[in-house]
Amino acid sequence: MSALLELDGVGISFGGLRAVDDLSFTVNEGQIVGLIGPNGAGKTTVFNMITGVYKPGAGAIRWQGNDITGAKPARIATLGLRRTFQTIRLFTEMSVFENVRAGYHLAARQRWWQGLLALPAQRGEEAELAARTHDILRRLDLESVADAPATALPYGVQRRVELARTLAGQPKLIILDEPAAGLNDAESAALNDTIFMIRETGVTILLVEHDMNVVMQVSDHIVVINFGRKIAEGNAVSIRADPAVIEAYLGREDDEAAAA
Amino acid sequence: MRRFKLDGLKLGALLWAAGLALPFALDSSWVSIAAFFAIYAITALSEDVILGRAGMFDMGHAVYFGIGAYVTAILNTTLNVPILLTLPLAMLLAAAAGALLSAPLIRLRGDYLLVATIGFNAIFVLAMQNNPGGITGGSDGITGIGVPSLFGLQLESQSAMFWLDWALLGLVLLVMRNLDTCEFGRALRYLKQDELAASTLGVDARKVKTLAFALGAALAGLAGTLFAVQLSTVSPSSFVFTESVTLFAIVIVGGQGSIPGVLLGTALMFVVPQIFRSLAEYRYFVFGIAMIAVMVLRPQGLLPRKRSAA
Repeated sequence: MSALLELDGVGISFGGLRAVDDLSFTVNEGQIVGLIGPNGAGKTTVFNMITGVYKPGAGAIRWQGNDITGAKPARIATLGLRRTFQTIRLFTEMSVFENVRAGYHLAARQRWWQGLLALPAQRGEEAELAARTHDILRRLDLESVADAPATALPYGVQRRVELARTLAGQPKLIILDEPAAGLNDAESAALNDTIFMIRETGVTILLVEHDMNVVMQVSDHIVVINFGRKIAEGNAVSIRADPAVIEAYLGREDDEAAAA
Repeated sequence: MRRFKLDGLKLGALLWAAGLALPFALDSSWVSIAAFFAIYAITALSEDVILGRAGMFDMGHAVYFGIGAYVTAILNTTLNVPILLTLPLAMLLAAAAGALLSAPLIRLRGDYLLVATIGFNAIFVLAMQNNPGGITGGSDGITGIGVPSLFGLQLESQSAMFWLDWALLGLVLLVMRNLDTCEFGRALRYLKQDELAASTLGVDARKVKTLAFALGAALAGLAGTLFAVQLSTVSPSSFVFTESVTLFAIVIVGGQGSIPGVLLGTALMFVVPQIFRSLAEYRYFVFGIAMIAVMVLRPQGLLPRKRSAA
């Protein structure tokens, strides 16, 4: 098992506030890693640094041993690192098919002028990528809504559409930002199955959740952060028993005493 | 859905073919209006590449139209370059201007980009009026632009010029249609709808947007050449800010990213005013009211773009 993604002492500040501080952890190939922490702990900020939305102020991010600190999102995507968003970001004026087809942007080899002239090679590639899009839609049980406007669908289905779009890029690692947010119990249970199904296809997963249940059930390895710092790391059993984690989630006893 | 798309294409091809017969049905002043329609339709479609497809607020598009017209006018009148040879140069220079001017602005948010492109338009008109190097003819512009010749045939008559314009409009329409179904065209729509999501899918925003500006400018440059030929004269007044506003309005009122919408918008803005010429200045009043009504009642435009399936 080799390291796919490494964070080494990563930190970032916003207006003097240290949002993430000296954070280090490793995601190995084939793993499902959970990143958890109370609301406002800095989880999404970590994701934004990994995917190039924010540039870390300190430390290094490595991808298969190569430094990718501060690389732009489009460059990160070419590495095979894809993400979903906490607030689903589908293309609002497009169908489900078009949204998922967007995931194949980097798979398209055609040049712009070949497209404008509709050359046979370009038409062939379009047909092939359309077929691959339908494959993914079938795998995620979305074929029946392929032509529907993406944002007119129920929340849980929209999450699946975004997931399908992420998988369409044939990523090595996908980062799921609170995939259970807004889902009902049945959808949440189905999500667990989907996550395992994705791992079966050889995709490594980094998962952010503040819902402990989902993370505990699916993760091989869990990293807990609070106030931008790592407070614990390990498997589900050790995390559940860790006093620092319990304190972060439930509050310290003398805090409550002070409040009372 | 698939069948409808095919029908739309067939209908378009039929209308275009029927348009070829216009010179037999109309007197020459109306043929000239039809020629201007073709020229402005190309210009509006070129604005649609930047505004409607890529969602960049280009409020200075008359600049690229003007560059095309001036390139043809200058090369033809001073160096006697045949018109049709000036055409690729007009497109190339307009494209280069589009890419260069947009390069520093591409990261700007919509409203800032809009103001910056207005600035370009103001500078362009001023520059042409000041007759740099004595080549643009100042406020009077350049006169005596020749007629195009094709295979030794002088395209002198209004009908011949119309056919040239109409043929090139046909080619531009094909390119616009292909833009809908190619990766570059789709990347523009991804960026327009959600730039962050697009970039995490690997869309290189800077590259794609610059390319969109260059393509839009190139097509506007093509229209500029045709415009110079049709009028046989160019002057700064044809490329002022209000022309850019009209092009912007055509795309918004007609329907962003919609070929039929942009064509309808062009017809409403340029052809219908000719029909109501007897109303004199009142027609602008009517159009002002109509534009407001469309934006209130149908903000997506008269013929909005359809979602396409597989």
